[in-house]
Amino acid sequence: MTTTTADVVSAQKTRTWKSIVGNFLIRNIMVVVMLLIVAFFAYRSARFATPDNLVTILVAAAPFALIALGQTLVILTGGIDLSVGSVIAASAMAAAWSAKNLGDNPLYPLLAALLAGLAAGAINGFVVSRLNVPPFIATLGMLTLASGVAYVIGNGAPINGLPASYGVWANTEFLGFTVPVILMIVAIIVFAFVMRRTSYGLRVYAIGGNRLAAEIAGVRSKRLLFSVYAISGILAGLSGLMLSSRVSTGAPNLGQGYELDAIAAVVIGGASLMGGRGSVWGTALGLLLIQTINNGLDLLLVPAYWQDVIKGVIIVAAVAADVWASKRRT
Amino acid sequence: MPPTDVDAASQPAMLACENIKMSFGGIPVLKGVDLSLEPGTVTALAGENGAGKSTLMKIASGQYRPDAGTVYVRDRQLPMGNLKASNRLGIAIVPQELASIPELTVYENLYIGRETRTPLGTLNRRAMIGEATVKLREFGVDIDPAVQMGSLPVGMRQIIEIVKATSRGARVLLLDEPTSAIAEREVAHLYDVVRNLRDQGVAVLFTTHKMEEMRAMADRVVVLRDGQLITDSALADITDDDIVTAMIGRELENLFPEIPRHKDDVVLEATDLVIAPEAEPISFRVRRGEILGLAGLVGAGRTELIECIYGIRTPVSGTITVSGNVLKPGQPQASIERHIAIVPEDRKGAGAIMPLSVIDNATLPRLDIFSKFGVITRRKRQAAIGEAMRSMRLKSDGLGQAIENLSGGNQQKVVLGRWLTATVDALLLDEPTRGVDVGARSEIYRIITELAEEGMAVVMASSDMPEILSLTHRALVMREFSVAGELNREQLTSPDAQDTIFRLASGLETSHPTHTEELAP
Ligand SMILES: Nc1ncnc2c1ncn2[C@@H]1O[C@H](COP(=O)(O)OP(=O)(O)OP(=O)(O)O)[C@@H](O)[C@H]1O
Ligand SMILES: [Mg+2]
Repeated sequence: MTTTTADVVSAQKTRTWKSIVGNFLIRNIMVVVMLLIVAFFAYRSARFATPDNLVTILVAAAPFALIALGQTLVILTGGIDLSVGSVIAASAMAAAWSAKNLGDNPLYPLLAALLAGLAAGAINGFVVSRLNVPPFIATLGMLTLASGVAYVIGNGAPINGLPASYGVWANTEFLGFTVPVILMIVAIIVFAFVMRRTSYGLRVYAIGGNRLAAEIAGVRSKRLLFSVYAISGILAGLSGLMLSSRVSTGAPNLGQGYELDAIAAVVIGGASLMGGRGSVWGTALGLLLIQTINNGLDLLLVPAYWQDVIKGVIIVAAVAADVWASKRRT
Repeated sequence: MPPTDVDAASQPAMLACENIKMSFGGIPVLKGVDLSLEPGTVTALAGENGAGKSTLMKIASGQYRPDAGTVYVRDRQLPMGNLKASNRLGIAIVPQELASIPELTVYENLYIGRETRTPLGTLNRRAMIGEATVKLREFGVDIDPAVQMGSLPVGMRQIIEIVKATSRGARVLLLDEPTSAIAEREVAHLYDVVRNLRDQGVAVLFTTHKMEEMRAMADRVVVLRDGQLITDSALADITDDDIVTAMIGRELENLFPEIPRHKDDVVLEATDLVIAPEAEPISFRVRRGEILGLAGLVGAGRTELIECIYGIRTPVSGTITVSGNVLKPGQPQASIERHIAIVPEDRKGAGAIMPLSVIDNATLPRLDIFSKFGVITRRKRQAAIGEAMRSMRLKSDGLGQAIENLSGGNQQKVVLGRWLTATVDALLLDEPTRGVDVGARSEIYRIITELAEEGMAVVMASSDMPEILSLTHRALVMREFSVAGELNREQLTSPDAQDTIFRLASGLETSHPTHTEELAP
C-alpha cells in the first residue's frame, strides 16, 4: 500500500517535470508565436531589429493601443464597440474645428476631442445599458452616426491650416519618446492595474462572466456597462487627437476600419467574445503582434494588398493556435 | 470484480474501464480505476464531491482523454477522447448540467444532428414529430413534441435528454446526478425510465448523493474515494451507513444536528407581500436564530418569494423589513448592505461566475470590505476568504482555481461560504444542498445551525423533505405563489408531517388548520 502510494507520487513528479516546459509553452503560446514572427523578420531584414525600428513600431501602435484598451473592457463585459473608428474621426474633426475656430491653445483640441469621445461613448453606454439594445447594433449605429458627424463638422472636407500648437500632442518628445507612445505605455500599465487589482476591474470581469450572478452579488451592472462604453469612447477621442495632431489635419475618414484591428488585438490576446475572459497584457501582446507584422511586411516591401492577406491569415492562425493550446492546458 | 461472474467469458462486460488514471494540473483525480458494467444492470456510482465521478463518466463517454488506461465496450477498445466514437459504440451520457436547447422544440432537440430529411433534402418535420411522439410514449411521456423545450419543467427536460441519449441504440447509459435538479414527483418517473432501459439490456451507471435513490434504482453500488474504487457491492449486501462511511472515510453520526432555540427579536419581516399577480399576500416574521422552511412543489413560488425578499425580483406589492429597516425592492446591493445573504437555486446561472477564480467569486459580494479607495487589499481578502473556505472544508487546488473546474458540490460551498466573511443577519437559502454529498451536506447543516445560533435568521426553501422536517423551527407550505399552510416545530416532528405538507402543497387541504382537524368532505 505504502509503496504504491510512493510510486504514484514519484511517477507523478517526473511527469510534472517533463510537462513543465511544455505547459509553459502552451500557456504562453502567443508569446511563442510573437517570438517566431520577430525571429523571422529579424532574419529577413537587417533593419527590423534596430532601436529606430522599435520606435517606429511603438509610434504606429500608440493610437491603436488606446482603442484596444477600451475595446478590452467592453469585450470583457461580453459586448463589442464597433464605433471606435468613426469616433476617432468625429473627435479628430471636433478637435481640429476647435483649434481653427476657438484660438491657438492646445487645450481646446484636447477638450474637444475628449468631449466628443465621451459623448459618443456615453450614448453607446446609455443605449446598451438602459435601452438594452444589443451592443453590436448600438455601436453599429454609432459607427454610422459618428462618421456622419465627422463629415458634417468639416462640411465634407478635411480641416487644414491648423495652428502650429495643434501638433504638440503628437510631436512633443520626452526622453526620446513622443507623447502618444508615453501615453500608450502609461495607459497599458494603468489599465492592467485597474483590471487586476481594483474592485472596478473585478466587477467588469464579473458582469461579463455571468451578469445575473454578478448582480446578485451586488454589482450595479447598468452603471458599470455604461462606464465601459464611456471609457472606450474617451480613449477613441484621445486616439483621434493623437492621429490628427501628427499630421496637423482633421480628416473625416481618419481611423476608418481601426475598430477591426483593435478587436483583433483583444482577441489575439486571449479574450473571449462571450465576456469574462481576457487581460490587458494579452491585448498589449496582440497589439504588438499586429503592429510587428505590419512593420515587418513593410520592411520586406510586400505590396499593400498582399500585406492584408498575410495579416488576415496570421491573425486567424494565431487565435486557432491559442484555442488549440487552451484545450491542452491543464 | 463484481461478485457473480459465472459466464464472464461468453458475456463480455458492456462497459469495462481498466486502470483509468487522470490528473488535472499535476493533481491526480483518478489513480487507476477499474470498473465493469454488465448488461441489464443499474450501478450507482457514489463518492464525495470532487471524488472524480463526473470525470470518470466524461472519460467513458469520450469527453476527456485519460492519462492512462483503456475503456472497452463489449470487448471493443474505445478510442480515447473521441465523443463521436463513443457515441457510435453505444455510450450515451446525460451530463450533470443539462445541455438541452431551450429555444428549440422537443422534437428538434431530439433529432438535432441526425434530422430526418425528405427526398429533397429538406427537414421532414412531420416524420420527426410522429416518431418523437412514439418514442416519448415508450418512456411514458405524454407531451406534444412540438412544444418548446424551455417551457417544460426541468424534470421533464431531463427525461427527454435520456430519451435522446438512448434513442440511438445506446448500450451504456451514463447519468450524472440525474435527480439533483428535479422534484421528488418527477424522480418516480425517472425510476420507471431507468428500469425500462435496464429491462432492455442497457447497462446504466448513475451518480447520486441520496441513499433512497440508490436503493430505488440500483442493483449495485461502487464507491470512489481518493481516486480509487474502494467499495463494490450488491446493494442488498450493504447498509446505508457502510456506503456513507466508504464515501467519506469516517463514520457519520447524525446527518442533522440539534437545532438551537431561537431568540424573540424579529430580524426579517414580510408584510402583505404579493409575489405574483393574483396571488394571496404573504406575511411572516423570522426571529433571530430561527430557521424558517419553505416547502412546496416545484413551481409553487418558493424561489420567487426568496428572490422578492432579496431584491432580484420586484414584488407586486408589500414590504420587507430587516431589523426594522424597510428594504428597497429590486436592489440586491441594498439587501447586502442590510446584511442579507442569498444562496440561489441555480448555481450555474445565478450563483457562481464560472470564468472567475474561487477567491474572486468570494470577493465580489464583499468588495467594500476588501478594498480601499477601490483597490483590492490582497492580504486581507486572502486571509478572510481562506478562513471562510476552510470552515466550509472546500476541496480545491487553492483559492486561485477557476470555479468552473471545481466539482458541483464544491462550487456550492463557495457560493455559500463567500458570505461568511462579514456579518449576515438574514440568510436566504434556496435548495442549499442540491448536488452536495452527504459529508458536505452534514457540514452545511452544521454551518446553518451554527449561523442560526450566532443569531442569523434563516429562510430555507427546500424540496428535500428530511431537510424541512429536521432542520427548521417552522415551515411554510407554498402553493400557487401563496402560503397554503404553516407547520410549527411540534407539527413538524409528528409522524404525519410529511403527509400534511404534501396535502397542503397539492391543494388537498387549503385552510390554515392544525393537521388534526378533520378534512371537509
Ligand atoms: N477541467 C478541469 N480542470 C481542473 N480540475 C478539474 C477539471 N475537472 C475536474 N477537476 C477537478 O477534478 C476533481 C473531480 O471532479 P469531478 O467533477 O469529477 O467530481 P465529482 O465526483 O463529479 O463531484 P460532484 O459530486 O461534486 O459532482 C475535482 O477536484 C475538480 O476540481
Ligand atoms: Mg459531478
